[in-house]
Amino acid sequence: MSKKFVLVFSLIIVASMMLAACAKPAPTPAEPVAPAEPAAPAAATEADCAKPEVICIGLVTDVGEVDDKSFNQASWEGVVAGGKEVDAIVNYVETKDAKDYVANMQLFLDKGYDILVTVGFALGDATVEAAKANPDVKFIGVDQFQGEVVPNLAGLIFDEAKSGFLAGVLAGKLTKTKVVAAVLGTDLVPPVVNFNRGYVAGAKWVDPEINVISTYHPGGMDVAFTDPDWGATTARQAIGQKADVVFGAGGKTGNGALIEAASNEGLYCIGVDTDQWETVPEAHKCLVSSATKAISPSIVDLIKMAKDGSFPGGNYIGSSALAPFHDFEAIITQEIKDALDEGLKAYDANAITLPEK
Amino acid sequence: MEQKTPSKNNWLMTIWRTIRVPLLAILSALLVGAVILLVSGADPLKAYAALFKGAFGNANYLKRTLEKTTPLIFAGLSVTFAFKAGLFNIGAQGQLLMGAITAGFLGFAIKGLPPVLHIVLALLGGCAAGAFYGLIPGLLRSYSGAHEVITTIMLNYIAINLTDYLADGPWKDRSGTNVIARLPLIEDSARIPFFGPVPVGFIIAILIAFIIWYMLERTNFGFEINSVGLNSHASRYAGMKTKLLMTSALVVAGLLAGFGGSVETLGVVGRFQPGFNAGLGFDGITVALLGRSNPFGVILSSLLLGAMKGGANVMQFDAKVPHEIIDVIQSMMLFFVTADLVIRKLFRIIKDTGGEVTLTAGWGQK
Repeated sequence: MSKKFVLVFSLIIVASMMLAACAKPAPTPAEPVAPAEPAAPAAATEADCAKPEVICIGLVTDVGEVDDKSFNQASWEGVVAGGKEVDAIVNYVETKDAKDYVANMQLFLDKGYDILVTVGFALGDATVEAAKANPDVKFIGVDQFQGEVVPNLAGLIFDEAKSGFLAGVLAGKLTKTKVVAAVLGTDLVPPVVNFNRGYVAGAKWVDPEINVISTYHPGGMDVAFTDPDWGATTARQAIGQKADVVFGAGGKTGNGALIEAASNEGLYCIGVDTDQWETVPEAHKCLVSSATKAISPSIVDLIKMAKDGSFPGGNYIGSSALAPFHDFEAIITQEIKDALDEGLKAYDANAITLPEK
Repeated sequence: MEQKTPSKNNWLMTIWRTIRVPLLAILSALLVGAVILLVSGADPLKAYAALFKGAFGNANYLKRTLEKTTPLIFAGLSVTFAFKAGLFNIGAQGQLLMGAITAGFLGFAIKGLPPVLHIVLALLGGCAAGAFYGLIPGLLRSYSGAHEVITTIMLNYIAINLTDYLADGPWKDRSGTNVIARLPLIEDSARIPFFGPVPVGFIIAILIAFIIWYMLERTNFGFEINSVGLNSHASRYAGMKTKLLMTSALVVAGLLAGFGGSVETLGVVGRFQPGFNAGLGFDGITVALLGRSNPFGVILSSLLLGAMKGGANVMQFDAKVPHEIIDVIQSMMLFFVTADLVIRKLFRIIKDTGGEVTLTAGWGQK
């Protein structure tokens, strides 16, 4: 028995070595291949990031993945697009444990990266500290409000209540049952709450009689944005209470609500953060528009400013608007468009009172 | 079996028989991970090398690995202790959260204490909160028969929502521009320091593991806990107070998890913040199973998991491997350990003759 065991064991060792040997030629895309000495900056790799003429842009996600079809993804797309504009090397690290924010930033700083994008308000403190400790590196903090101005740190913030308000006006105009729903990530996160405050105000602005069913995910930060099942169930409950427009705001949780709405006939749904027509094709049947934060374009702008020396420290307010209506262009009448314009004017004139939560 | 020199070899063989299944489970899981890496176009050797570098490559990496290991040891010991009494403590996560937030509260609310005293006080508070949170399912199990698996799972949700409420309500950090749910930073006097690159919390965890081992193997209380776990009816027949024993087993389990949460708050995070302790209690179950419900096994398996967690970001950065592979490998380990029949079939280990491990009376028993 013992001999057999040793045999199997050594077979496994040999097999693993063989597997490893096979792997050698496999392509490892972004790996910094040691460049030949005379290579010009055109063939620059990650190893050259410390050189002043090579621009390197790194991105640290909040807990979650870079392809979350929401926040992290929009930021990464901004980094990729901005990187092309300024001819930079780009890379990212996904944060798995909230305690690793600093360690993950340090990975880039150790390699001499020039611009660091950190995604999410939760990384705010860590980003401020890193920016103070590394004055030569430019930091872009997505969704991070700056209480004090650090010259090399731009906090990219958005008026979520404004995009939420526009979504609310749209929902109020579209509803036939006078019941609309919002399925939201946790109320522990102020931007999510602001989306909802705007949404409620927008729907009520159209018609005070409209009933808005807003539900926040009851779980902790670890699950609130990654729970599509809860999102779907909650949307189903709201639909059962006659809601015919569903606003999904909260990462994958919100996406679950959108997809659930799409599985019903004659319902409308509204996405959040980015144009979710591109990111959640499963919801095409109901997705009228999205309450967007223009994350990617704002990051591209900030990257360009970092390059030409006009980088703004402190808060930088990105634009917010509704995404295109795509297939629903036909049902968005001139009357609805006028209402949206009028609502926007009222909002900008501070004529709208937002509810508490 | 070739056992010719009984005395010394017997002892070694016993250890070997105890560790061979977990060891082979780990190797198999790494192998499966390597195949997945290969299929997805990455170089497994390079990935594992980067993982190792990220876990132990320099003093900073080592420090982080030990930081990640520490709460796993506590959570693993918590689950182990309950296992010994035949109870499955799924509630380590909730108990850990209660400990973490209590220590965080005592850490910032009390001012002007000398350092050591402040740390001890905050730790005691955290332990007490965890112990109390273990007492509830303990009493429910012993005196109403409500199964601890159900009650601890539900208590986890209560703990998550209670701590979220406290962190966003009465105990919220109201300083400056803070908008997110979290407690204020703890006072410097409550911070658990480092001993070189080694967090003092890690040293405490090792000490506690020794104490738990001694308690389980060398004291009357431990003997009674073990015997309740093996057969509660026989234990009652032999005159043991089984209800009291089961309750105290969950109290100790809760205390250990709460201890872990306190050390995490006072030694690593520096405040209580929702989301920062996610999953630690559940990893404790993996650690306890992988460690074969042995305190020293728990230390080793915690180190393994801690190293995998610590090295994951360097692995992603250097080898371009998504960190999810770590979850896959960890799950495969758990799978191979719990379904150890697979390993036994695979490696032709027919049956254990020594080092028998009884996990619980009702769960995972061979």
